[in-house]
Amino acid sequence: MLKPVPLAPSSSAGYNSPVPPVSQTIRVTVLFFGRLKELTGHPEHSIEFTDAPTIEHLFALYAARHPELAKYRSSVVASRNQEFAAWDTPLRSGDEVAFLPPVSGG
Amino acid sequence: MAKLPHDDIYQLVREPIDMAALARHVRAPDDGAMVIFDGFVRNQSHNRPTLYLDYEAYESMALAKMREIGAQLHEKYRIHRVSVVHRLGRLEVGETSVFIAVSAPHRAAAFDACRFAIDTLKRTVPIWKKEYFEDGAVWADGELPPAPAATPRAKPAS
Repeated sequence: MLKPVPLAPSSSAGYNSPVPPVSQTIRVTVLFFGRLKELTGHPEHSIEFTDAPTIEHLFALYAARHPELAKYRSSVVASRNQEFAAWDTPLRSGDEVAFLPPVSGG
Repeated sequence: MAKLPHDDIYQLVREPIDMAALARHVRAPDDGAMVIFDGFVRNQSHNRPTLYLDYEAYESMALAKMREIGAQLHEKYRIHRVSVVHRLGRLEVGETSVFIAVSAPHRAAAFDACRFAIDTLKRTVPIWKKEYFEDGAVWADGELPPAPAATPRAKPAS
């Protein structure tokens, strides 16, 4: 299951335990626009994971924090590194993910 | 993505769009036609008088998508130069929010390309407008851009 890594170093390893294997941390930048930005209260977040999440996981994590987000799931498209992306796209460290409501330029 | 001619213009701006200067730039001596689209702020929305609009964009992606549209225009139509400029921030009624100009040796290609450009922009470029009225504000109904349904399974790491 996905868990954001706490930013402070964890001290959960017991004494006498060997140095725990360093799990690779994945850091992703997350952007919200339009009404989604108003719902989450922030345009831009940085978040860390121990396991590679997909875009869907990432959205679910924010929907858990901001329950109103969930009802917009079907009217949101996601992008990864400025390209529209499928919800099952796996993320890599350094990726920039954005959640975009229906566009209304022009 | 196909290479764009260096004299095309794709911009997001926060000041009024200088349409005359852009038109002069796009209109070249070896062309025979230029089609201009001037999109501006309507004074009402669903019969509610509009006070003003506020535009925001995912700027890096919006510019990339505008340039992508330009590349498609050059691929699909026999045109010469393109200018696509969108304004962001607060816009009053009557002010131009989007300006597109396409020049071509002959008019048909310029008309078709200009139409394709504005239609595609409105569907795929990540820009949003909030409409302000006497009694509140709403995000304008928009279009959901087409996105891939699922990632191809055997996609090699890049």
